[in-house]
Amino acid sequence: MFGKIAVSWVALALAAVSINANAADPVRIGLVSEITGPNAEAGANTVNGAKLAVEEVNKAGGVLGSPLELKIEDNQSTNPGSVLAVSKLGSEGNIAALIAPVRSTQVQATAPTIAKLGLPTMIGGSDYGLTHSGHAWLFRARPNDAYSAKVIVDYGVNTLKKKKWAIIFSTDTFGTGGKNMLVDELKALGITPVLLQGYTNNTQDFTPVVLAVKQSGADIVSSYTPFSTDAAILATQLRQLGVNLPWIGSATLASDSTIRLAKEALHDTYSVSDFFADASPESQAYAKKYKQTFGRDADFYSSWAYDAVHILALAMNRAKSTKPDAVRKEILAIRGHKGAEGIYNFDKNGDGLHGYNIVKNEKGKIVFIKHTAFTPKE
Amino acid sequence: MGFLSINLQILFSGLAVGAVYSLVALGFVLIIRATNVVNFAQGDFAMLGAFAMMTMLTALSLPYWLSFLLALAAMTVFGVLFNYGVYYPLRNRSFLPVIISTLGASIFMQNTVLAIFGPQAQPLEKVFKASGFEVGGVFLDSQYLVILAVAVLAVAFQYFLFERTLLGKKLQATSQDKDMARLLGIPVAWMIAITFIYSATLGGLAGILVGPVLFVSIGMGSVIALKAFSATIIGGFGDVAGAIVGGLLLGVVENFAGAYISVAYKDAFAFLLLFLFLLIRPQGIFGEKISEKA
Repeated sequence: MFGKIAVSWVALALAAVSINANAADPVRIGLVSEITGPNAEAGANTVNGAKLAVEEVNKAGGVLGSPLELKIEDNQSTNPGSVLAVSKLGSEGNIAALIAPVRSTQVQATAPTIAKLGLPTMIGGSDYGLTHSGHAWLFRARPNDAYSAKVIVDYGVNTLKKKKWAIIFSTDTFGTGGKNMLVDELKALGITPVLLQGYTNNTQDFTPVVLAVKQSGADIVSSYTPFSTDAAILATQLRQLGVNLPWIGSATLASDSTIRLAKEALHDTYSVSDFFADASPESQAYAKKYKQTFGRDADFYSSWAYDAVHILALAMNRAKSTKPDAVRKEILAIRGHKGAEGIYNFDKNGDGLHGYNIVKNEKGKIVFIKHTAFTPKE
Repeated sequence: MGFLSINLQILFSGLAVGAVYSLVALGFVLIIRATNVVNFAQGDFAMLGAFAMMTMLTALSLPYWLSFLLALAAMTVFGVLFNYGVYYPLRNRSFLPVIISTLGASIFMQNTVLAIFGPQAQPLEKVFKASGFEVGGVFLDSQYLVILAVAVLAVAFQYFLFERTLLGKKLQATSQDKDMARLLGIPVAWMIAITFIYSATLGGLAGILVGPVLFVSIGMGSVIALKAFSATIIGGFGDVAGAIVGGLLLGVVENFAGAYISVAYKDAFAFLLLFLFLLIRPQGIFGEKISEKA
């Protein structure tokens, strides 16, 4: 009998403790990132950026008076891994919002699961279709590839004056989407590309690609290459086989890891870049803090996650709730939020940024050339 | 570029990539022959070798040739650990527990390296400083040339070892019939250990050679291993010459298919070749060595 009384006292005590604990229950954001697998480097940067933002949010009072917490799940750099990670986070039941991976192909794979969960999700994938297929819960913290393609074509045709375009693209969502956007933009200027050359991610040898470029008679190369290792091998082999054409590539070309791997092969190449350290006081402050905390240069892999956390925290605080519908409304209403990537003005599709920088690799240092911004269609 | 030089270029890079597949495939075949087991960590031997080389070169700043020898020595030691940690405890079980054990070893190796070195892909120094040179319109990458040369040497060494030395004969006997070999006084457990050590060193060598081209990353082994395994099957499951020929054939076919049909489907052609072989000539080019048990 005493045993039973003791047990019930312990139960009451535990219940009392847990009731008190509820008052300071953290608000949790699920973060799906590439912790292991071929993209582990980019994934680590994403986690770093998010952690930095969480620290700042908590220093400023947290979300709705509670601390903000990240629940990180590894997707092993794969699509099935991403779906599993999102499902795991969803089944935990106390996740208020999600941060999806930066790869468009992974976002696309998880989109149906996210739709079922109905959680506001910040994404870093830049494929245009992700926010234009009627999905209510995806919000983008990077400018999409409709803009990157516009900026690439504008610079290549109008500034560099090149009309014979070779497009090298990965056959995943990101690369194919980017290629389609480039083709459309060139078409609008009356130009048909002389070469459309796809390749699969993690290709070991790009000789056939390079030979195709050589034989096409192109006078400019543009590319959508999601993985740094592929971009670096491509760059090395392009130069080895004597292709020294002007090259404007997607954001990976300017990322820290690609530059480190490709070295001289990427000198004098251009790329679009959503994140640029010197672009604004906010990006400068972010870059400085990132370097101080992690000892590495910040790139877009971390800056978008940093902005994503701040946007979610801002929306939740403004909505005075973590209810998905309320948060969603507040995200879409954000205007003029100054993030590390740029100034966020969300349109009805969920795109927050509408412009890109053109940068140039000058002997290994990324130099700013120009920024092109577009007015979002409301 | 002229027709001939274009095709020679494709052939050259196809052979070089194929040579890497061959080196890893050789490791597969040796272990299959000795233990009847597919070693799913074979590709990760290449990854470890590349990381060992990188550590010697950059962290310890040792000269290239010293780093090379030390990295190979490290892989030899690792081969010992692998044999006694992954295979030996399960040596009397059927092949399935051992295969799963190698799978587990592969995951363990990749994540240990991730924990120690972090996820960043790293460049690795080539053997020669020169990037390569051009002959008749064909660019010969210096690292590719080294890979081809080493593959030839490895094959020659392997032939000499297996056909001309007593140790090699003992290794062959062990792989053909363990029980008979034991009855003849051959130390079977030690022969298998040597097989693992040799395979690990060979795998590490492949990694050191291909690291400068594919960059040193945790996943670099898995990318090669699957193709190397297909090469093993194409060449004849368990046949050493088959592993070489299968690897080279795979490299060349996928490169030509990529160049003339579609680069995007390059990997598909590699596996299409495997598929065709399984359909038409399942024993592979050189046929599987079948041992009859009386």
